Amino acid sequence: MACLVRSWIPLLFLQSFLVAIAFGSNEGEEFSEELLLKPLPDRKVLAHFHFENRAPPSNSHGRNHHLFPKAISQLVQKFRVKEMELSFTQGRWNHEHWGGFDPLSSMNAKPVGVELWAVFDVPQSQVDISWKNLTHALSGLFCASINFLESSTSYAAPTWGFGTNSDKLRYGSLPREAVCTENLTPWLKLLPCRDKDGISALMNRPSVYRGFYHSQRLHLSTVESGQEGLGSGIVLEQTLTVVIQPETTSVETNMQPSWSLSSLFGRKVVGSCVLAKSSNVYLQLEGRLGHESKNVDTEIEAHKLWMNSDFDLSLKPDRVIRESSSLLFIFDIDKSSDSEPFDLGLTWKLPSKWSCEQAPLHASRFLMGSGNERGAIAILLKATESQEKLSGRNLTTDGRCTIKANIFQIFPWYIKVYYHTLQIFVDQQQKTDSEVLKKINVSPSTDKVSSGMLEMMLELPCEVKSAAISIEYDKGFLHIDEYPPDANQGFDIPSALISFPSHHASLDFQEELSKSPLLSSFKEKSLVRSYTEVLLVPLTTPDFSMPYNVITITCTIFALYFGSLLNVLRRRIGEEERFLKSQAGKKRGGLKQLLSRLTAKIRGRPIEAPSSESPAAESSFLSSKLIFKIILVAGAAAAWQYFSTDK
Amino acid sequence: MLADDMACNARNEYPAQVFNNENHKLNLYGDNVEVDYRGYEVTVENFLRVLTGRHENAVPRSKRLLSDEGSHILLYMTGHGGDEFLKFQDAEELQSHDLADAVKQMKEKRRFKELMIMVDTCQAATLFNQLQSPGVLAIGSSLKGENSYSHHLDSDVGVSVVDRFTYYTLAFFERLNIYDNASLNSLFRSYDPKLLMSTAYYRTDLYQPHLAEVPVTNFFGSVMETIHTDSVYKAFSSKTSNNKINSEMPVNQLSEHDELQKANIPNDELKTEKQKCPYTQMRVDLHEKLEKFENVDTVVNLGIAVMVFVVMISSSLL
Repeated sequence: MACLVRSWIPLLFLQSFLVAIAFGSNEGEEFSEELLLKPLPDRKVLAHFHFENRAPPSNSHGRNHHLFPKAISQLVQKFRVKEMELSFTQGRWNHEHWGGFDPLSSMNAKPVGVELWAVFDVPQSQVDISWKNLTHALSGLFCASINFLESSTSYAAPTWGFGTNSDKLRYGSLPREAVCTENLTPWLKLLPCRDKDGISALMNRPSVYRGFYHSQRLHLSTVESGQEGLGSGIVLEQTLTVVIQPETTSVETNMQPSWSLSSLFGRKVVGSCVLAKSSNVYLQLEGRLGHESKNVDTEIEAHKLWMNSDFDLSLKPDRVIRESSSLLFIFDIDKSSDSEPFDLGLTWKLPSKWSCEQAPLHASRFLMGSGNERGAIAILLKATESQEKLSGRNLTTDGRCTIKANIFQIFPWYIKVYYHTLQIFVDQQQKTDSEVLKKINVSPSTDKVSSGMLEMMLELPCEVKSAAISIEYDKGFLHIDEYPPDANQGFDIPSALISFPSHHASLDFQEELSKSPLLSSFKEKSLVRSYTEVLLVPLTTPDFSMPYNVITITCTIFALYFGSLLNVLRRRIGEEERFLKSQAGKKRGGLKQLLSRLTAKIRGRPIEAPSSESPAAESSFLSSKLIFKIILVAGAAAAWQYFSTDK
Repeated sequence: MLADDMACNARNEYPAQVFNNENHKLNLYGDNVEVDYRGYEVTVENFLRVLTGRHENAVPRSKRLLSDEGSHILLYMTGHGGDEFLKFQDAEELQSHDLADAVKQMKEKRRFKELMIMVDTCQAATLFNQLQSPGVLAIGSSLKGENSYSHHLDSDVGVSVVDRFTYYTLAFFERLNIYDNASLNSLFRSYDPKLLMSTAYYRTDLYQPHLAEVPVTNFFGSVMETIHTDSVYKAFSSKTSNNKINSEMPVNQLSEHDELQKANIPNDELKTEKQKCPYTQMRVDLHEKLEKFENVDTVVNLGIAVMVFVVMISSSLL
């Protein structure tokens, strides 16, 4: 017994040594999962899943991953991607009710369909090829038609209007792309625990796709390591933002609906993902200024934060953090398991109303004009109630308070925009361009080659009530092959991006939160941005049945022409009467005639004119020749049949 | 290849769910579904590219049919169709001769061992009229002149949820448990023309194995056949040591090999029979002689020149 023990102790040491080596080479790979729940003022609940996966810089050869998805690291390596974001969205982010100024809406309110942008680390001449290959690889990875972005008519190269300053940036958007389970499946397969464990197990597909807005986003960025010889590290951030309306049985329309995780998703969190470094659920309540109490040291005071006259939480939070206008409850789900699942619930006791902070100007876009020849696009920026709050901060050099707004738009080539017809109205008065337009960058479209791009920076006074920009366009003609199968639905103009560079959205938590990637990303200053609606433009469509019509008409004409031509050339006038007369006069068979004709042919003598012979002979000769031919063919067929069938 | 987004369509009352029955018991769309071609990408061109493997370089592997000469492929097509065509996206048609050509190309490039085509449209059997490649089994839900009908309407969702042929196929599979060894013959026999309201027609003339011996898992599902050998490296190393391999293989493999040898024998007999007949012997000899020629082109040109010469002479004489 003792010798047995002694024999496996060194083995144990060897094993642990090997394990240490294995883990040591992958040390630094971190994965964390978080869920943020936020009740919204219009009786809905926002659920924001955030998964972050970090791979540290290491040698590019022999890169072993144990948490980081290999597909992504191969993508980054092959296409030399420096930064990339891919989002799949359905639904429209309701800025009035759901806010537009907080980091969550700035980063997660995405345009409908697929949006992809990428910054590459290759020479300028190869950026387009890398973009094309990247779109194909992503279409295979995410089961979507992202490969439609490969052609130069669907992407653009923004410079400063997009917020990322780079000349190797490419941006493309497909507004009509459907988003369904098949896009979520590969996205979840990139997570270490897939959708089997941890917070991602909550994602009940029908609940997610029943939401008013759902957007799955994948953002990756490379982190340069300072040292030579080491490849760059990659940070992969995957988020899923869903706005769900909880089922409510209460009759009162004033009260917010009470909900719990099981009522929203039909599932509970049963244990955290063991591979995750941290696994947290946050509940953020906005508009809780009134409940700030001076001391939360006493147990009763702390208790009042989450169980008071307004609402009740079903579980005790591990931490409570205050922000300037909201309360954040933190729940650590490491302790949950099969026996005690985590099912957070919020029960409202009194009707409460609050409002989310909005961006200084609310942007919307619409089409003007009618007909299939020309039209105009207008962007309307309207002041929101948070404008006064934010105006105090922006002062220009001459003491005026201004709001800066960047507008970035892509126009497909069949929307031929006339940039000289750009008109800007501030408070319903037309302004000359130089007063309001500070910077403009135009890349005109080329028919069937590239799309048009417009970037503008406007400087509006802080007290502006509304501003409108309009631009006219002509509709182009497409080739019949370029029309999609449902051409009569219309064609989409992708969303415009309005960003406010003078404002920064961030949540100012009063406590240290370095461990949580989600909250530390909220703490960073991010650009306030909002996307407008997608516009549907009807274009002139051809009659798709025309090719069939043309073929039918042409063939009819050919048939009539050649038929009548042959008739005219071949038919002899009066031949029919002569034939009938000859039929009447026919007497004897023409076997002798037949023989004489045959011998004449063999000897090569000219055939005697048929008119010299009696018509009677001719007709009988014809019938006997016919019979002879029939016998010959039948005999040949029988012989062929006999010889070709094998037994 | 799904042309329309049904599950997450805005008009679907049950998002991310596709049912095959009014009772909504079985969600066919599941949690782990992956669709490679969808929306505007579902075109006849892409379909034929997938079958024949002629893709552009940039197309990723998940969008290619990575099959080889040992693969069993199931091709299931449904939608609207007619006499020798299948409708794609309301704008295009897949014709029967295009499909037959693609399958012929696949056979030339050895992209499949056995291919099963299942078509559920009106006049479905006409779609595989032009097939000629061996190793193909095809079944269609209706004959020429017959329509295929949907099974029932789900008034909750608002559309007919499944076609009759597909419904009875699914019903057959739902009745099986995991250990059943059902054969294709039992699947094909389970279609009742009275229930289908059309005749499910299948052609087996291109498919050699007997349907009663082919398990359904050959096409529906994936069951790998494992061959047990005792020796680690020596088996399958060289073709000359056939005798040795035979002795090492287990009994059922031996019997298969014997059958193959038996099958070879009648062929030899046939060949000898053929040689007795002079006409075919002449043909065969001519064929062999032609094959031996290296420069077939010069022979043909010479023949054409001689023919022209003969025609000139005969026309001058006559």
